[in-house]
Amino acid sequence: MNAAPRNDAAAERALDTLSSGERGVIAALDCEPSVARRLMELGLVPGTEIVVIRRAPLGDPLEVSVRGVRLSLRRSEARRIHVAPR
Amino acid sequence: MSPRAEPAPRRIAILGNPNAGKSTLFNALTGLRQKVGNYPGVTVEKKTGFCDLPSGRRAEVIDLPGSYSLQPASPDEMIVRDVLLGLQSDTPPPDLIVFVVDATNLDRHLYLALQVIELGRPLLLVLNMMDLAHARGQRMDERALERALGVPVVGISAAKGDGIAQLRELMDRDVEPSTRHFRQFPPYLQRVLDRLEHRLPRHATLPDRARHDLAVAMLLDNGEDDALASHVPPEALDDARTVARRLDEMSPGWRADDVAGRYEEISALLAESVVAPGERGDRRRDAIDRVLTHRVHGPLIFVVLMGAVFQSVFAWSLPAMNLIDLAVTRIGTIVGHAMPDGALRSLLVDGVIAGVGTTLTFVPQIAILFFFLCVLEDSGYMARAAFIMDRVMGKVGLSGRSFIPLMSSFACAIPGIMATRSIDNRRDRFTTIMIAPFMSCSARLPVYALLIGAFVPNRWVGFVTLPGITLFAMYFLGIVAAVVIAFALKRTVLRGGRPLYVMELPPYRMPSWRSVLITVRERSLLFLQKAGTVILAISVVLWFLASYPKGGEAVRALELQRAVAVVSGDSVQAHTLERQIAGAALEHSFAGQAGRFIEPSIAPLGFDWRIGIGLITSLAAREVMVSTMATVFNLGNVDNNVQPLRQSLREATDARTGARAYTPLAGVSLMVFYVLACQCMSTLAVVRRETNSWRWPIFMLVMMNALAWLASFAVFQGGKLLGFGA
Repeated sequence: MNAAPRNDAAAERALDTLSSGERGVIAALDCEPSVARRLMELGLVPGTEIVVIRRAPLGDPLEVSVRGVRLSLRRSEARRIHVAPR
Repeated sequence: MSPRAEPAPRRIAILGNPNAGKSTLFNALTGLRQKVGNYPGVTVEKKTGFCDLPSGRRAEVIDLPGSYSLQPASPDEMIVRDVLLGLQSDTPPPDLIVFVVDATNLDRHLYLALQVIELGRPLLLVLNMMDLAHARGQRMDERALERALGVPVVGISAAKGDGIAQLRELMDRDVEPSTRHFRQFPPYLQRVLDRLEHRLPRHATLPDRARHDLAVAMLLDNGEDDALASHVPPEALDDARTVARRLDEMSPGWRADDVAGRYEEISALLAESVVAPGERGDRRRDAIDRVLTHRVHGPLIFVVLMGAVFQSVFAWSLPAMNLIDLAVTRIGTIVGHAMPDGALRSLLVDGVIAGVGTTLTFVPQIAILFFFLCVLEDSGYMARAAFIMDRVMGKVGLSGRSFIPLMSSFACAIPGIMATRSIDNRRDRFTTIMIAPFMSCSARLPVYALLIGAFVPNRWVGFVTLPGITLFAMYFLGIVAAVVIAFALKRTVLRGGRPLYVMELPPYRMPSWRSVLITVRERSLLFLQKAGTVILAISVVLWFLASYPKGGEAVRALELQRAVAVVSGDSVQAHTLERQIAGAALEHSFAGQAGRFIEPSIAPLGFDWRIGIGLITSLAAREVMVSTMATVFNLGNVDNNVQPLRQSLREATDARTGARAYTPLAGVSLMVFYVLACQCMSTLAVVRRETNSWRWPIFMLVMMNALAWLASFAVFQGGKLLGFGA
C-alpha cells in the first residue's frame, strides 16, 4: 500500500492481497457499520489473528480462518479488511 | 375437563449457531414426532416436535433457526430474537432454552450464548460434539464453565447419541436462570440506551426484559429490521435513528463497540475453564479441501458429483414413478369395473385417482433429490459447492447457494424450489425461486422430443445433428431467460442493500443417517400435504373442463356409427370410431371450447385451437400435451409410439383454407413457448407455499407467460419476415 496516512498503517495491507497461507492480525474493518458489526460478531474483531487459507477455483471468494472457524469471504469485502503483519 | 388433566407440556427451545448440530439434537430428541409449519406472515420455517421426559412429563420442543447474534441480520434471526424476547405472539417464550454449542469451537459459539444467557431465562448449555473434542485431546472443566456462566453445562454427542439421556434428565428439572451480565456497553452508549428504553411504552405485551433489548435493536437498526416497527412506536424509532446518526458522526465504530468487549470476556472465561485446548484438528479437512476445492479438479469433481446426483434422480425415480403409474392405473381399472358407468365413475377414475397419481409421481424425485442434498449439506460439501460456484452466480447478483436449487430444477422445478431454503438471503432466495422454472424440466422433454421429431429435419451439421442443436438451444434459451430475469429482479422488485456474502465452511462430518431419513420423510410429507392438495384440486378441475359438457352432435353421430360397426362385427372400424369419439368429445368440452376461444390470441404465434387445447391441458403437467394432441388427432393412446402423432402434426391442415396447419417455424415457436411459459400449476402451488403469499406465484404466472408470448411472437413473425414461414 503506498502513501498510507498513518505511520503504523504503513505495513497494513488489505486482506485480499494476502496470498494463501499468509497470516496477519486484523487492524481495522473499513466497511459499512452494520457490515462491520456482523463481521465482528462472526469473530473478525480487530486484534484477532486471521489466516488466508485458499482462494476459490475462480479466484473469488477467499477462505479464511479466524478463531478456529473457516469463513468464505468475497474479495469485495476482504478488500475492506485491513491486516497488519504479525 | 377430566379430573386427571395432563399438565401442559414443558416448552423447550433448541437454539445455537448454524452448524452447532441443533437439528441432529432435535431429531435425536423428537424422532418422528415432528411437525413443520411457518411463522405467520414470514417464510421462516417453524419446526416443533414432542419428546417424553424421564418424569413422564411431555415436552414440546421447538427447533429455532440457527443464528449468530441477537442483533438480527436475517428474517430467521429476527424470529429468534422475537421468540426469546416474548414478542412473537404465536410462540410464547420457552420455559427452558437448550443452547447448543460446538465444543470444538467454543470461542465463536459462546458469543450468542452470552447474549442469550443475559436475557435471564432458564437455560442449559449443551456442549455438542464432545467425542470430537476428546479425540483432539481437548479437556474442559465443565464445572468452572458452569460457575462462570451461572447455567448448568452438559457435554453430549448428538450424532452418536452420547449424553442424550443425561440431557433429558436435566431438561426435566427446574433450572434457575443466570443472573450474570456480560454486556460491555461503554458508559456513553449505556446512557443513550437508558433514554431510549424510557421512550418505550410500559404495557403488558412488552415484557420488561425485552425493553432493554429492543432499545439496543432500535439503535442498531439499519432499516432492514421489518419486525421492529411492529413492536415499538414510530416516534421512538425516529428518535433512535436521529441518535444513531449523531453517534455515527461523533464516534464512528460505536456500533461494534460492545462486540470486542464480549469476545474479551469469552477469552477470559475460556482461559479458566479449558484445561487443555487440544490440537486444532484441521489436518484432515485441509487434506480433503485440497482435493475438493482444488483449482482444477475441484470444479471437475463438482461437475461429476452433480452429474451423478441428477442422473440418479432421473434413473432411480423412473422405476418408482412407473410403479406408481402402474398402481394408479390398476386401481383406476378396479374402481372402474366396480362402479356403474357415469359421471361419478369418471370423476373418481379420471379426476381424483389420476390427480393423486400425478401428485405421487413427484414424490420419488423429491425424496431422492433431498436424500442427496441432505447428505451433501450435512457432510459439509454443500458449503464447498457454494464456495466453488459463488463467482459464477455472483455475475447475476446471486450467490453460490443458488446454484444447486437451479441445477435441481432441470429435473423438476418443484424439488428445486423446495431446495432454496438453504439460501439465507431472502431476496436471493426469491430471485432463485422466480427463475427456477426457466430451467427445462424433465416434463418438457417429451414435448421437445415430439416437436423436434415432427418439424426438425434429421441432418448433420458439422459433427452434430440439427435435432441435437435444437434441443440444446431450448435448454440454453431457458438459462438465458433465467439470467435476464434474475438481473431484472435484482435491480427492481428485489433490489436491496448489498448483502454481506459471508458463509461458514464447516468441517467435514459423517452425516447422521437417521437425521437424513427424517429430513427426506419430512420434505416428502410436506409436499404431499401442502402442494399435493392443490395439485389434486387442479387435476379435478381440469378433468371437469376436458369432460364437460357431454354430447354434441358430432359425438352422437359417431356413437351411432360405432354402434352399427359393433353390431356388424367390424371391430377395426369400431376401434377407429372410438378414437374419433374421444377426439370429438374433447373438442366439444369446455377445454375444447377454450382452445377455440384463445385461438385469436395464439394465432400470431402460429398455433391453432388444437394446440390451444394442448396448452390448456398442459396446466396439469406439460407432458400431458403429448397425450392431448394424440386425442385431438384421433390417435388414441400413443405412449409407446409417437411416430404417427409426428406425422399427424406435419400433415395437419387448416379446415377452412386446406393449407398446412403447422409450419416448422410454428413448431419452433411452440417449443420456445414451452421453454418460457409458466404452465405447471404444481410449481405455482409450491411457490405459494414457499413464499407464503399469493403475490409471487401470480407474478410468476403473468411474467413468464407474457415473456413466452412475446418470444414466440418474435420467433414466428420474425421468422416469417425472414422467409422461414414456408
